[in-house]
Amino acid sequence: MTIDPNFSLKDLIFMAQGAAITFALTIISGAIGTALGFLIGWARTSSSILVVALLGAFIDVIRSVPLIIQFILFNSFMAIADYPLDPFTSGIITLSVYISGYVAEVVKAGIESVPRITRLAARGLGLTYLQDFFYVVVPIGVRTVFPSWTGLMLGVMKDTSLIAVLGATPPELLRASQIVITRVQEPLLILIGAGCFYFFMCAVITKINMRVERSWNITGSTFK
Amino acid sequence: MFEYTFQWRVVWQHLPDLLEASYLTIEITLLSVVVGLVIAIFLASIQNSRFSILRGISITWIAFARNTPALLQIYLAYFGLGALGIHLSSYAAVLAAIAFNNAGYLTEILRGGITSIPRNQNLAGLGLGLTATQTYIYILLPQVLKAVFLPITNQVVWAMLGTSLGMIIGLQELTGMTTFLQSQTFRPFEFYFVTACMYVVIAKLMTFSARLVARKMFHG
Amino acid sequence: MIDIQDVHKSYGSLEVLKGVNLTVEKGEVICLIGASGSGKSTLLLCINALESIQSGKIYVDDIEVHAKSTNPNKLRQKLGIVFQQFNAFPHLTARENVGLAPRLVHSKSRAESDELACEQLSYVGLADKLNSYPAQLSGGQQQRLAIARALAMHPDYLLLDEVTSALDPELVGEVLDTLRKLSDSGMTMIAVTHEMSFAREVGDRVAFFHNGVIHEIGPARDLIDNPQEIRTKEFLGKIK
Repeated sequence: MTIDPNFSLKDLIFMAQGAAITFALTIISGAIGTALGFLIGWARTSSSILVVALLGAFIDVIRSVPLIIQFILFNSFMAIADYPLDPFTSGIITLSVYISGYVAEVVKAGIESVPRITRLAARGLGLTYLQDFFYVVVPIGVRTVFPSWTGLMLGVMKDTSLIAVLGATPPELLRASQIVITRVQEPLLILIGAGCFYFFMCAVITKINMRVERSWNITGSTFK
Repeated sequence: MFEYTFQWRVVWQHLPDLLEASYLTIEITLLSVVVGLVIAIFLASIQNSRFSILRGISITWIAFARNTPALLQIYLAYFGLGALGIHLSSYAAVLAAIAFNNAGYLTEILRGGITSIPRNQNLAGLGLGLTATQTYIYILLPQVLKAVFLPITNQVVWAMLGTSLGMIIGLQELTGMTTFLQSQTFRPFEFYFVTACMYVVIAKLMTFSARLVARKMFHG
Repeated sequence: MIDIQDVHKSYGSLEVLKGVNLTVEKGEVICLIGASGSGKSTLLLCINALESIQSGKIYVDDIEVHAKSTNPNKLRQKLGIVFQQFNAFPHLTARENVGLAPRLVHSKSRAESDELACEQLSYVGLADKLNSYPAQLSGGQQQRLAIARALAMHPDYLLLDEVTSALDPELVGEVLDTLRKLSDSGMTMIAVTHEMSFAREVGDRVAFFHNGVIHEIGPARDLIDNPQEIRTKEFLGKIK
């Protein structure tokens, strides 16, 4: 197995660009998906059975259909509706909605992890529902579910590799790797290289999140 | 807005093909979880091994399975191994890759289940005079099974979603078959919509039967 | 004055309060005793509208607590409440815990609320723990923190729900000392408690709850030393 001399610096840069696009897609979809998921998760703690059930059904469907199908379905729907979107926009919307389903469940768990008594104590002091929610529930809940949320964001990064199915250009990392392979014919090395890229990006996100968590743990922010 | 006329009949005509493909999906899903579970049990048991090379294998496997996309893992199994002279069919490649992926997550699930059992349970068993093996089988194992049952069910659904990636390397599980059929009939939306519904049904069937099994095994 | 008139409260099909009548005068310390589940804690939650009632009326300083026109958030500023545990906000330091409500509810500036917080924390004996987080405090210190937090709102009445029941025995005293200090300063308190010696020494009156109603009520010393009703005797017998 010889290193094909055709694998040049240009290919490496091409893959690095792919990695940058992967990272950008992750941040954008992750942010939108988290915001949307937060609202849905919050709504799911309401006392309205109808709201909880409807949103629950929505989340159920999102989590039961493969992402590839969601990408294609949304894309072709927009085409039919005479409002065709470019692959990146279509992909980002689909990915954001997809991840919001998972984030919603995590958010709901975080909100419900706050002891009822702590919330009663806050309301007992005269805080309004919203004050209790944003100054007490959210800070506590976020700390509780932060590891799970981090896992979801890492999942987003891996899911960006499917956007290729919509033909998005310039390509994200995995598609870029595939393109290089068709030229250079060293699938094993290039795939392992791509794997290392993903590994590295995941490690960066994990490291940052661990640091955030550590700053919280110093404060002993869990209940004794 | 909608100048498009929906034609559902053509999907209906191809329903047998779709059903056959969904059997394949279910088959790969279940096989990959079983294989993944076997590997996971092995990986979980060597995590505390004295030999650093065994611990290293476990850590590396889990890290690679969880930090790289499943599609990359499928490419590695299909194209990567091909470069080494091992030519897997698309079926085998998807099965191997998803099983590999499952093993990574299932190991963590098993570990979580084991550590969730209070240590006192073990001590209580030994204190009653049971041997370590008896304690493991009669006291710890049932509790671990109960603790991991739900997460494993979720992993099964997750694996089902993963099999859809087989479409990219030409496997005709449900997604692959759908792609093939819609390319013949030029009705992408109708076909993918029906397939999406079928996935929801399959997922629901899986979780429902899991719940039945759980009720029988764990008395609710 | 707190006036409770024939209050009925159910959780679903389970009726917990079956016609409670009680009047609490300003400056009084009333201790509620009784078996678990007899409705004492529920009554406290009803007084500051954290729970609804099915029938009856509760008045706090002539404001009807459960009237539609009453703003519960405003009402709760008059009533401080301290629970058995999980009071403290774990993500804030002691001074931030105490300063939060004055800042948000009374719209005090950060500086003012911080000053107020330090004042109250000193009062309960936590002057050296201003920057500690609840997880770094003992159970007794957390309870005193919760009391300081309630006091920072300058309430007219203090509701205490078994505030020492979850504490290790050696930590109970410091909390009771704080409550004694408060009652000496004239604070009106309604305390659900199992600490009979506290009820006897610090309480003005004691009310014995049984089966969702006040079974017997009287001056603290009299009721505890010399209960009239059989059920009261039974209960006190078990405690002693």
